[in-house]
Amino acid sequence: MKPKVLLDKVGLWSATVVASTALILGVAPMTAKAINVPTAVTEDGKNTYKKYCSPCHGEEGKGDGPLARSMLPKPRDFTRGAYKFRTTPSGSLPTDEDIFRTISYGVPNSTMIPWDILTEQQRASIIPVLKSFSEAFEVRKPEPPVNVGLEIRPSEKSLAEGKKIYEEKLECWKCHGVEGRGDGPSAAEQEDDFGFPIKPFDFTTGKFKGGNSDRDVYLRFTTGLNGTPMPSFAKELTDEQRWCLTHYVMSLIKPEETCK
Amino acid sequence: MKSLSFFIILFSFLGWNIVSSKDILAEKNYIEEEVTDGGNIVGSVKYMGDLAMLKLDLYGGWELTDTSKNASEKLIASRINNGLKYAVISITNIAKGKKRLIPKTHPIIDQQRSNFIPHVIAILAGTTIDILNGDEELHTVHTRTIKNQPFNLGTTYRQRISRKFDYPEIIKLSCDIHKHAYAWIVILDNPYFDITDRNGYFEICDIPAGTYKLNVWHEELGNIEKEVTVYPKKITNVGFVYSQN
Repeated sequence: MKPKVLLDKVGLWSATVVASTALILGVAPMTAKAINVPTAVTEDGKNTYKKYCSPCHGEEGKGDGPLARSMLPKPRDFTRGAYKFRTTPSGSLPTDEDIFRTISYGVPNSTMIPWDILTEQQRASIIPVLKSFSEAFEVRKPEPPVNVGLEIRPSEKSLAEGKKIYEEKLECWKCHGVEGRGDGPSAAEQEDDFGFPIKPFDFTTGKFKGGNSDRDVYLRFTTGLNGTPMPSFAKELTDEQRWCLTHYVMSLIKPEETCK
Repeated sequence: MKSLSFFIILFSFLGWNIVSSKDILAEKNYIEEEVTDGGNIVGSVKYMGDLAMLKLDLYGGWELTDTSKNASEKLIASRINNGLKYAVISITNIAKGKKRLIPKTHPIIDQQRSNFIPHVIAILAGTTIDILNGDEELHTVHTRTIKNQPFNLGTTYRQRISRKFDYPEIIKLSCDIHKHAYAWIVILDNPYFDITDRNGYFEICDIPAGTYKLNVWHEELGNIEKEVTVYPKKITNVGFVYSQN
């Protein structure tokens, strides 16, 4: 082999290696956004919880902090291990990512703010503290997240199908109202697992509690909201029907009212 | 030699798996054995309270709404002998006894006319229950448990939901759309239990001789506990009475 060819080959290979390393390094933080959740309760986590969370959620996680009195919806009582916003099936415990998501994005239409003022590490350190409040995490393990199917396009047909499910098959209107204002005939008597009255969600506000993307709304039907009367319809609806219902529910948002 | 040691390791691992899975399922303090000369406990639960209000026909034969028809299932007592229906009797402190037989056919809780049937069901830990919907409208089945996996599912006509209950607990199963409808699932860790029939009678069989604590649970009236001595191959009679106050 001539030295020039050899040099070319070496150059090509080294260029490839350098490029792929750079790619891997560049892509890694995007795909697997590594949140390092500590496995045990740390001193840092305890302090963070005490300073930022306990005023509402209480020192022992019972949702009875000094500020909780004036709030509705009430701050979550962590002792039951019932978390509303999950990617896991109905009744299951949440994954760490689910808890992290709720802490980071907050819950619109409630007093839970997005805690992005804390560093990622601080937010992650709270997770084991929350888990330690409930014996459920000792007995059970979170089930694997549900499979989110391929989204279908919102079309007239899918909206009509969604409307049919909303009004006839599942009778969502009984709680959420025909126009989605949360004023259905059964709305007044609903209460959550802790005995506090709870209002069915008003879709017209458009500020969905678990997130505003199609996927988030889809996940709410599929997983249900633990601790609330909202059930899971994973068994009742096919994947396609759930997407239709998602689009129909999203179509109930009234932007002109929301802007006020 | 290498393969032998590999197999030893593999089998010990498998064996450990079986042991550990048994550990989780079975109650740790309960030992199963053949009971050859066991005794029986037979008895009744009575409610000596005022039931007049439940039977009073205030509407003079007019059609009642579904809600008021269903509301009375929480306290049913026989008119003839005051026997209390749907009370769960169990032996709480038994250390060893007959085998824990988990039924292969799943017990059923059905929802008919916006009501759960039966209203109370007692099962052994580890049993799977099928929850059906016999109405042509939407129901939800909602439990609020900590140890057993809770669930909250919407069910339409002819839906069948199977759920396994692994830990002893008293669970209230309710429908959020029809607030009056609910059922109780009583999960027990040993096979010595029974539910009273409509005349308040119960029977528990094949109990090794000894003195035990017998507990009665009723959703409205609470718990009563009594000590009972069982003799081999004999029937012991027990009576429980709930007074009004």
